[in-house]
Amino acid sequence: MMKKRLVSLALAAAMAGTLAGCGGGSAETTAAPETTKAAEAAETTAAAETKAEETTAAAAGQTTLKWSIWDKDLTTYYKPLVEAYEAKNPDVKIELVDLGSSDYQTVLATQLTGSGSDFDVVTIKDVPGYTTLVNKGVLEPLNDYIAKDSVDLAAYKGLTDQISVEDKLYELPFRSDFWLVYYNKDVFDAAGVAYPTNDMTFAQYDEIARSLTNDEPGAEVYGAHYHTWRSAVQLFGILDGKNTILDGNYDFLKPYYEMVLAEQEDGVCQDYATLKTSNLHYSGAFAQGNVGMMNMGTWFISTMIDKIKAGEYTECTNWGLAKYPHAEGVEPGSTLATITSLAIPTTAPNKELAWDFVKFVCGEEGADILASTGTIPAIMTDDIANMVSGIEGYPADDASKEALQTSNLYLEMPVSTKSSEIETVLNEAHDNIMTGNMTIDDGIADMNEKVSAILGQ
Amino acid sequence: MAKTKVIDPAETARKLSVLEPQLKDLERQVDAETDAKKKARLAKKVEKVRDKIRQAKTGERFSRQTKRDLIAYSFIAPNFIGFAVFTLGPVIFAFVLAFLKWDGNNPMQFAALDNFAMMVGNQRFLASLRNTIVYCVATVPFTLVCALGLAVLLNQKIKGRNFFRTVSFFPYVASLVAVAAVWNMLFSPAKNGPMNMILYKVFHIAAKELPKWSADKDWVMFTIVLFSVWKNMGYYMVIYLAGLQGINGELYEAASLDGANTWQKFRYITWPQLQPTTFFVTIILTINCFKVYDIVYMLAGGSAGVLNESAIVLVYHIYEEAFRNWNLGYASACAMVLFLIVLVITLIQFRGEKKYA
Repeated sequence: MMKKRLVSLALAAAMAGTLAGCGGGSAETTAAPETTKAAEAAETTAAAETKAEETTAAAAGQTTLKWSIWDKDLTTYYKPLVEAYEAKNPDVKIELVDLGSSDYQTVLATQLTGSGSDFDVVTIKDVPGYTTLVNKGVLEPLNDYIAKDSVDLAAYKGLTDQISVEDKLYELPFRSDFWLVYYNKDVFDAAGVAYPTNDMTFAQYDEIARSLTNDEPGAEVYGAHYHTWRSAVQLFGILDGKNTILDGNYDFLKPYYEMVLAEQEDGVCQDYATLKTSNLHYSGAFAQGNVGMMNMGTWFISTMIDKIKAGEYTECTNWGLAKYPHAEGVEPGSTLATITSLAIPTTAPNKELAWDFVKFVCGEEGADILASTGTIPAIMTDDIANMVSGIEGYPADDASKEALQTSNLYLEMPVSTKSSEIETVLNEAHDNIMTGNMTIDDGIADMNEKVSAILGQ
Repeated sequence: MAKTKVIDPAETARKLSVLEPQLKDLERQVDAETDAKKKARLAKKVEKVRDKIRQAKTGERFSRQTKRDLIAYSFIAPNFIGFAVFTLGPVIFAFVLAFLKWDGNNPMQFAALDNFAMMVGNQRFLASLRNTIVYCVATVPFTLVCALGLAVLLNQKIKGRNFFRTVSFFPYVASLVAVAAVWNMLFSPAKNGPMNMILYKVFHIAAKELPKWSADKDWVMFTIVLFSVWKNMGYYMVIYLAGLQGINGELYEAASLDGANTWQKFRYITWPQLQPTTFFVTIILTINCFKVYDIVYMLAGGSAGVLNESAIVLVYHIYEEAFRNWNLGYASACAMVLFLIVLVITLIQFRGEKKYA
């Protein structure tokens, strides 16, 4: 009897303890959105300011800002950015926290869930990750800060409008990568084909890819290469500006899937299923020197320059860049964009300082530093474009330099509260179509049905 | 060396006046009782009352039994506290969460049975349940047969027995990431992948008809089952080997004298004698199969780590809903379903254990 009573007592105590712990956590987190709302009332920003000042003063001269990032050692711009900011603000120290690249957004969302983390500035990798965090109410709206310091959002060429959620902006982009066609001049020379121009239609692009191809076993040359990401094929369809990837009707994707599947069938590009199971990285594929053209984002530019300089890539040293192919009657230079942004969590200990740092990195000073490392900053002026294309190792021809001028930028994934669920459906359908598990029509019907269901919820 | 307080004689006398008649009464009952079980229970009560009397007389704070109990609990405590904080608490919380709608930050909302209703309409959930069951039904008997076969083979006195035992156990200890990469290379979907080359050259299967293995919606489960049988059979082989070595050799001698052949020996001695082992292996294997995640993810996940409806399993679905879509309530409800399935299997195990113990 005694034992039983004790055990049940212990159990009850344990339960009460854990439940109390959970209750406490949720209470604190629910408080967070409330403070956000309060901050929106504009009057309370003053209170936040004094609070920030207090903590700054308390840190005895030097304040540390905690910044979440990924790939600390592989990314070239963190160090110069931090050094420049610290030189400008000697009383601030930036602490980089690397959360790893592959599941960065999941780790970050977990860190910001609950109340344990004390990040001042967080990097946001993609739009679905951004919407997740906005839905969770863990990001500080930046509108008041922007208004206070009268930051000119026009410099971001409309990108900030695309990432506003109910007229509130929760992140500021500092890096804006867009997609280009990388080509290997040696492959073109060997086949006696003229280099791709900055004004080519999809039909011309397909023709060039086919004319480069050699399917002789042992001496294969692939005219084109598509990485396994859905963006690499699926998003050809949105470049005419008539449709978006959140439409719920995907019939417009058909011609592009037909083109790529025919290329796959004829050995113009490598088989998707093989690429998927072998996990071949796009850089490895292009570096083998038997790929004529590959569509990829501008983030690959600095990798190319570095690896060629280091002597790792020997088969693709003679490379060039061209604008994305475009649909008939559409202005060349329309392409996909991916932004990398900074945001301030609602739990940030030093919000005012964090904003100052965000303003620095996302502003022109930061843009200059990013450009000097071969990265495309979100603020793109002619000077900055020249700076990027002037880097040693960037293809010297004028056409490659001109390829950096874009006309319309479409986000790979627009902002939507359902974006991560839609992403799953689109990925799955892309995979089924590319592996031949579904016909194009079935795959598109599948997307139409499932995305409509998600949007209708 | 318990401290003795100053005893108040009046208080003691009062306590004793209650306890002593109780004791007498109980002792009489014990003497009168004939049923052994009831007698033992009464004897315990007598012991307790005696203890109380001793306590009253000496004025100690705790009786001896209580002290013994406290010491025992203090030994259990470190383990139990860890269990309560890291396992029991979260399990109870997950149970509560299954009836809530929560994304981890915003206030929780009561959802009653909505989460469970959502499962019925969710294609990915239904696909994951179907795939998990298919995986279990295929993997369990296949692994069992392979493990038993290997064990019987490697229990013979053959040359290089230890070497072969090591070889069969190796897949189990090898890193999953590494061997999965090798498997995807062997079972490459390309025409010139090693497996497909054999099918093409030896069995003359048309190039168009060649399976794309883990990238093929009809072959992906087969590939996964094959892989997990190969990876796990070594472990169950070891369990079977232990079972085989526990069989009395005299049984085989007697059977030989009666003229039994190898098959008969296996059928009438080895198999029945291994029954408890087989039972244990089946249960453990089934539970492990329901919890499968890593193998599927490594073989069929691709670089994006997204599983298709042709390969998705329950645990992956739970992960995806919880940490990609942040539907913590729904994910907990799915986890509850998985828990119930595993619970039922475990209950069957307890039944069976009674039979074989």
